[in-house]
Amino acid sequence: MASTAAQPQSVVVPQGGKRAHDLRANRTVLLIIPAAFIFIVFFVAPVAVMLAMAFNPSEVGLVGFSLNDLTLETFVRFFQKQLYWGSLVRSVWLAVLAAAIALVLGYPLAYLVAKEQRPGRANLYMILILASMQLDLIIRMYGFMILLGDQGLINDSLLRAGVIGAPLPLMYNTFGVVVGMVQLALPFMILSLIGVIQGINPSLEEAARSLGASQWKTFFSITFPMSMPGVLAGSLLVFAIAIGSYAVPVLMGGWRVIVMPMHIYQQVNEVGNWRFGAAIACILFAVSLAVVFVYHRYTEKYMGGLA
Amino acid sequence: MSDAGAVVAELIPPEPGGKKRREDAIDAPEVPLLFRIIATITFIYLLLPVVIVVLSGLNSGNYLTFPPEGLSLRWVQSFLTSDVFLPAYLFSLRLGFSVMVVSTLFGTMAAIFLTRVRFPGRSFVRAFFMAPLLLPGLVLGLALYVYYLNVPFFGLSRTFGGMLIGHLLVTMPFVIGTVSAALYGFDRSLEEAARSLGANPLKAFMSVTLPNIKSGITAGALFAFIVSFGQFDLSLMLSTPNNTPLPFAMYNSLRYQFEPTAAAAGVFAIALVVISMVLTARITNLSSFGGIKFS
Repeated sequence: MASTAAQPQSVVVPQGGKRAHDLRANRTVLLIIPAAFIFIVFFVAPVAVMLAMAFNPSEVGLVGFSLNDLTLETFVRFFQKQLYWGSLVRSVWLAVLAAAIALVLGYPLAYLVAKEQRPGRANLYMILILASMQLDLIIRMYGFMILLGDQGLINDSLLRAGVIGAPLPLMYNTFGVVVGMVQLALPFMILSLIGVIQGINPSLEEAARSLGASQWKTFFSITFPMSMPGVLAGSLLVFAIAIGSYAVPVLMGGWRVIVMPMHIYQQVNEVGNWRFGAAIACILFAVSLAVVFVYHRYTEKYMGGLA
Repeated sequence: MSDAGAVVAELIPPEPGGKKRREDAIDAPEVPLLFRIIATITFIYLLLPVVIVVLSGLNSGNYLTFPPEGLSLRWVQSFLTSDVFLPAYLFSLRLGFSVMVVSTLFGTMAAIFLTRVRFPGRSFVRAFFMAPLLLPGLVLGLALYVYYLNVPFFGLSRTFGGMLIGHLLVTMPFVIGTVSAALYGFDRSLEEAARSLGANPLKAFMSVTLPNIKSGITAGALFAFIVSFGQFDLSLMLSTPNNTPLPFAMYNSLRYQFEPTAAAAGVFAIALVVISMVLTARITNLSSFGGIKFS
């Protein structure tokens, strides 16, 4: 490995012998050590421990794990009770819905930013998008609660104007959760798309237009297909963010829309059944990984070297 | 209007080299009206909650009404004297800065290694460093919590260090992504030239490479700070009564009632993000943020 690692270095040190190469390559390895240490000791090992725990028989109050006592009991329990597998179905469905809505709302904005020629304007757009993404999630959800709550801004105004007789159910339901999830994940969709749309050679669109294609025909036959890598990457990200979010369904759904992360929290912090909580966490992680896997297969198959 | 401009541009005979005409054609990009409308709605959707929080934090009444009752610094004052929100804000600042420094340093080092040294399985290793972003925050928090309890050797259970490590895992991918993107765009022969002129590797890196990848590092550092500052799901599992970050304090107060002091705390958090964004936009090109690949 050291000799392959030294290869690019040989360009840098034209006069160096083989020993000098190895020495320099070895020193370059030092760069990766802190990050690798943190990731192996505090990422791989904890996930492995959690995985082992998930396969231990569930027992309330037990945080330890054992490699001698492996069983599928926790997983069988998850898929036997409608309460649990129902939340999996709901989580997946809400995440798919969030990805679809984020694509419809995000694509036009990404297109606008990508096609913006004035640098000042493009920079302003980027600041706004990044600022919306960087802001504390809880603050953003708070904003929606003030807006959508039963005594919130919308309901309060409509009630006082006499337009409605009773508050509209705008949150503490699926609608509220989806509003929150899309808001949370939308900037990631937009950022995935901007670079890809900018990378499309404008002369292709111009050629289509000059051959008589309408604006929409050009869009659907040239621009959109060529931006598929961004569409897929963005949808994947939105899905992963939406399915993993705990705070959004709690604050916007008010425990009425039960999704998987809520079961994890409940098992761990309220029931004290760490092992069952770990099993639900593993299932949730497996779903995210499966989606990434499908995404990679799809991009390899259809995008060739493009993605 | 823009269509007419494009037609006129078509009619003007191409100048020698044809460069001018082409620029004109690109100058009038056609963004369909429907796209403009949806883009406006998306912008409102993205920014409305932020505007609402700022208004509530500066509103004089207990509840935000439309039209607002009037401006007041009452909630700001209540935030500045709060024994819940102010310590939480300061704790988040301290944590965010620590995370930023460590994450930027280690992440930049890792990015240099990953872009410069070829070895078998390099793309796998790169994907591995992005993996924490795919793990839901709550799941990662749970894994770390259980791990700290099972491995008392580290003594990290319910400590600042334990939370710092969790934040490093979710911020380093951003640093590695932005710095790698900057390194790919950097012409390495410049550094080689410095080396051949007698500079030692460190000097060549510091005086030639570093200034060129500065924008990627700045973008990564900003990401690291802000991702840490707004981290909730992960902190939920790792925070303790005396280690409460701001999002957690806000969440606790919002679960039961609307608390305008939380909105005032939000105003301060928003100000922090906006200031750092504007500062970054001044020293770096924001397109470095597009360099992040999550998968």
